[in-house]
Amino acid sequence: MIQFSSVAKRYEGGLEALRGVSVEIGAGEMVAVTGHSGAGKSTLLKLAAGLERATGGTVVVHGQNVGALGETALAMLRRRIGFVFQDHKLLFDRSAFDNVALPLRVSGLAGDEIGRRVRAALDKVGLLARERAMPVALSGGEQQRLCIARAIVNRPSILIADEPTGNLDADYAKAILELFQSFHRVGVTVLLSTHDEAGIERLGCRRVALVSGAIAP
Amino acid sequence: MTWLRLHRHALADALRRLASQPLASAFSILVLAVAISLPVLAAVALQSAGTVAASLETEPHVNVFLALDATDDDVRRIAEALRSNPEAVSVKFISRAQALEELKATTHLAEILDSLDGNPLPHAFTVRVRTTDIAKLNEARDAWSKLPKVDQVAADFEWSERLAQWIRFGDTLLATIALVLSAAVAFIVGHLIRLQVVSQREEIEVSQLVGATASDVRRPFLYHGLTQGALAGAVAIGGAAAVAAWLGSQLRALTPTYAAEWKMVFLSLPACLAVVAIAAALGLAGAWWAVGRELRRFGQAP
Repeated sequence: MIQFSSVAKRYEGGLEALRGVSVEIGAGEMVAVTGHSGAGKSTLLKLAAGLERATGGTVVVHGQNVGALGETALAMLRRRIGFVFQDHKLLFDRSAFDNVALPLRVSGLAGDEIGRRVRAALDKVGLLARERAMPVALSGGEQQRLCIARAIVNRPSILIADEPTGNLDADYAKAILELFQSFHRVGVTVLLSTHDEAGIERLGCRRVALVSGAIAP
Repeated sequence: MTWLRLHRHALADALRRLASQPLASAFSILVLAVAISLPVLAAVALQSAGTVAASLETEPHVNVFLALDATDDDVRRIAEALRSNPEAVSVKFISRAQALEELKATTHLAEILDSLDGNPLPHAFTVRVRTTDIAKLNEARDAWSKLPKVDQVAADFEWSERLAQWIRFGDTLLATIALVLSAAVAFIVGHLIRLQVVSQREEIEVSQLVGATASDVRRPFLYHGLTQGALAGAVAIGGAAAVAAWLGSQLRALTPTYAAEWKMVFLSLPACLAVVAIAAALGLAGAWWAVGRELRRFGQAP
């Protein structure tokens, strides 16, 4: 499903975030990427989601070589991948409903279909009652779940989450991880980064550890 | 039908944006309308002047007045000389007596003329000429004025030719003004759209992150520019029509003073539609320019 072959990523200014990373994530697999901050976790996820391009090696997602895709094809690929951002990237000028509806509107879905899917996604994350709420009225955990609802509303086969439990207390973090596990159980490929070691233990999923931009031996 | 829906959404989005800031939208449309109405009014003025010129323009002719002491022999000799000129189409002789009768008939000067000792008018020829070429006409006039016993050669074509030249110059001026103001319209729309784009930078960024292509991002802004341009074009036409009607009524007050009929001639319906279409296209171009610039600045989604 996601295949990294000797992937390197060097940012402008010389920062080398990843070097020689080769890893394969199979369809329906759940993988946790661990490592200290600055180890390259976020970069790895962004490359897998087609949000950035590698500067070396190849990234193949859904059988497509991300580096060889044009801008439009890359955007189309992003529609097939749900991404939960570390900083949520919610739009604060519109309701929870409209935030979740954004990917569907981008895809040009019909209004009634949008309503159905958005409510299903909000229901899945337990926010159906808050569809009219503005993001600013939501707690940190609720904002996180809203971001997850937006990521799954397009029914992607790949779900990627960057530090989804980052700023949450233990109970809330546990609930979020269980949510991802439920997606994994229905066949979604899940790739998430975290430094919540205890949570990973509980999930019992495969782990990829990064150290200074390389896979730890 | 996804394609159609995307465009319908983009149009709805653009109209919503216009309606969400009614005052700001009205002002920007007004600014654009003023810019567009200037060349429209200039075109109306030129067109009106053009019709006046056309109504006045008769076939070019030259009047040749003879000296008072010209004899019948002189008349015959000059008539031959005039007829032999290749530019002359017809040569009409008006005798002194005939001219006096005509003058008495068409003016109220009969009494004054009767009180004179003799006929003050000379024999004259009216020569209709083939060409409207000023240089050739001047050549003919110079040649004819050198004939013995020819007192004066008056060319009536000069002022109408001069008017035509002014109108041609007006056309060039109009094209220049239209071009400059078109660029102004495109830049104004571009600037307004750019402000919109900047204020929606977050939405654009997130849209791109969840899979919006460059054209997805561009589309609503293009419709915004298009509608803004079209509305401004329509307002400009309406405003120009009102101004032209007012000027027309002022002109009518002047008309009895002159023989010619002066009136404002407004643009034809196709021309009006063309103005609206061009304004819409300029809005579209401005929006394209603005979004393109801002899109590049966002670059590849981070």
